[in-house]
Amino acid sequence: MSSAGGELKGAKARAAQNGIPDIAAHLAYCEAAEACGIESLLTAFGFHRPDPIALAAALGVLTSKVKFMVAVRSGVISPTSFVQQVNTVSALTQGRICLNVVGGHTPKEQRAYGDFLSHDERYARTDEFLSICRALWAEEGPVSFKGAYYEIEKAAVKTPFVSSERRAPEIFLGGASDAALNLAVRHADCLWTLPRCPEEMAARFQTVLESGTEVGLLLSMIARPSREEAVSDAYALLDRVGGKARQVHEEFSARSDSVAFTGTLALAEQSGSDWLTPWLWTGAVPFLGAPAIALVGSYDEVAAAIRTYEDVGINQFLFMGWPDIEEMQRFAGEVRPRLATASPPRVVQNSHAPIPT
Amino acid sequence: MKLKFHWRLLQGGETPNMTRAGEGMRRETGLPDLGRQTEFCRRAEQCGITGLLTDIGATKPDPILLSAALGMATEQIEFIVAYRSGLIPPTTFVQQLNTLSALIHGRFSLNIVAGHSPLEQRYYGDFLSHDERYPRTEEFLAICHAFWRGDDPVNFSGKYYRIEDGRLNTPFVSKVGTSPYIFVGGGSDAARALSISQGSCWIRLADTPANLRAGSKSVLDAGKELGVRVGVICRPTREEAVQAGRALVADLDPVLREKEQEREFTKRSDSVSIRQIYKTAEEEWPAPWLWKGLVRSHGSAAITIVGTPEEVASAFIEYGRMGVTQFIISGWPKLEEMIIFGRDVLPLIRQKERALNEAGATTNHDHHREFAHTL
Repeated sequence: MSSAGGELKGAKARAAQNGIPDIAAHLAYCEAAEACGIESLLTAFGFHRPDPIALAAALGVLTSKVKFMVAVRSGVISPTSFVQQVNTVSALTQGRICLNVVGGHTPKEQRAYGDFLSHDERYARTDEFLSICRALWAEEGPVSFKGAYYEIEKAAVKTPFVSSERRAPEIFLGGASDAALNLAVRHADCLWTLPRCPEEMAARFQTVLESGTEVGLLLSMIARPSREEAVSDAYALLDRVGGKARQVHEEFSARSDSVAFTGTLALAEQSGSDWLTPWLWTGAVPFLGAPAIALVGSYDEVAAAIRTYEDVGINQFLFMGWPDIEEMQRFAGEVRPRLATASPPRVVQNSHAPIPT
Repeated sequence: MKLKFHWRLLQGGETPNMTRAGEGMRRETGLPDLGRQTEFCRRAEQCGITGLLTDIGATKPDPILLSAALGMATEQIEFIVAYRSGLIPPTTFVQQLNTLSALIHGRFSLNIVAGHSPLEQRYYGDFLSHDERYPRTEEFLAICHAFWRGDDPVNFSGKYYRIEDGRLNTPFVSKVGTSPYIFVGGGSDAARALSISQGSCWIRLADTPANLRAGSKSVLDAGKELGVRVGVICRPTREEAVQAGRALVADLDPVLREKEQEREFTKRSDSVSIRQIYKTAEEEWPAPWLWKGLVRSHGSAAITIVGTPEEVASAFIEYGRMGVTQFIISGWPKLEEMIIFGRDVLPLIRQKERALNEAGATTNHDHHREFAHTL
């Protein structure tokens, strides 16, 4: 969402991306998502983007249906201020806010915010951060907390979380490391992770699912009337982004300490084929980043792939597309009707991906 | 002389006679009220008000996000976003403000306050003493300015913050400047020094112009402005104005114990100005037009200019003559008092300003020189 209107943004180095929000393009994007029945839009976090919560507040008062999934890292804001901001957006938008909590993926970027912790310490701190946030949302009186990273005393935030459905925002926690899985079980409604073969995922996430925490996938989609068209469009995309993009993502990966991001890139680089399954394509990952791992195929095949994940208990999906709006419309018009289950999977759209012209 | 007038934003659930304690007791003040607040913004634009103060505090909605939401529904009015250091790191703060600037075309300024309640600062994990909060705010704003002047990257290593290779891709977007205008609030020497080093304006709680002279020269000499937080009660006759003021105190519901709560609040505060003003509020009329009768029920920002349109306009001109050019005003009720101000007082002020300015740049110069000598 944060780069709606951008062109092939994901192929550029983050430092070279334009961080000025284009409110008209964002709004058109929100309206398209609402028309497609998309539940939420991710507003991502990063030094190269506009602030996601301010963007969500502005777009939230201009829209009426879609939710904003606001990304946050611990270490960039105090938990009490964060709850006050989230609650303010909930009051402005009748509860149309949920959270994507991430640990942060590059130590260098974290230091720009004054955060000098290591990867594992960041998860420990996020644990404390979410403990405090949840205590404030529980509204059971003043909150005091003394941990290794935070100390707060008798905190109370008067602006409540406003929603007709929930007392606290839904929390999606991103990651693939053991630390991320443990944290998701403790604090999250859903773990966001990157796709692998369904069988592999069933084993890896069994404990998470058994704990009652949902598991969702962060991925891309190229669905076309036929498999040939989908594959052809997939490789045409690589021609458009070019070799420069590949170098950008190699450099990013070298700086990152994210298990999910670097693991997916390594998988894409090392495996002999671009295809983890006949429909799971890693070809764009070296060019457009880890979330460019994509479901590629005919409408029937993509719908079947989603159902295969559902069968192993994965029921939330955060998609990107190239271009996002067209892919979102194909999903709404062609793929979704083929997922004729009693409870269709919940779909979130992310457009911090590139939008080629 | 060109005086600028700002008003305090209407709050969610605001009652016509709301005290500081009353704000704390009402559940609705924690909630934005987009309908009424947007209407208030439009009325402020019509009244000739430049900016609206959006408060910071644990009992209020977040002022940056409230300004973003109200900014989307308005075109002209500016927002004065109150904030304190110790809540979010400077990099995040600049990223949020720059995003806000891009969303509403730079229509906001900042009101940086050090925080007046140590208890409330601890809600946010801030355990510093009053005196340390100023050096921390100094570092905080120094880092903000490094981003705004385009240091690439921003590096800072101080006592309270350490930032390494800070970069943001969202710039401050505005037609008039490369960084927001910054009001620094507070009556202490530390606040004044901060306004000179990092701010655009030193804004204090109201007092007589004579009493406000202390310390003013160094601020003006540094090329910064002076500001005053003040209440206004304006009626066709002085008697009606005074009576309207007294009625605000007399009509308080004794059950709510607002005066007792204000006393307790002042006791817990470590703000120099708040405690001093409470103490000196016994002297109700420090000037014939300046009334402290509301301080002990409505709070220290409720020192009030009381009188006819002519008297109120003259009072502002008197502040203007000693160098105060920015005013953030409260009224009870906020909207009605703002309408009276815009209709009956502001045209008189503009007329007097014009007369003074037309009296010649020379005279004006002389006046400033004379003023400088008296300090």
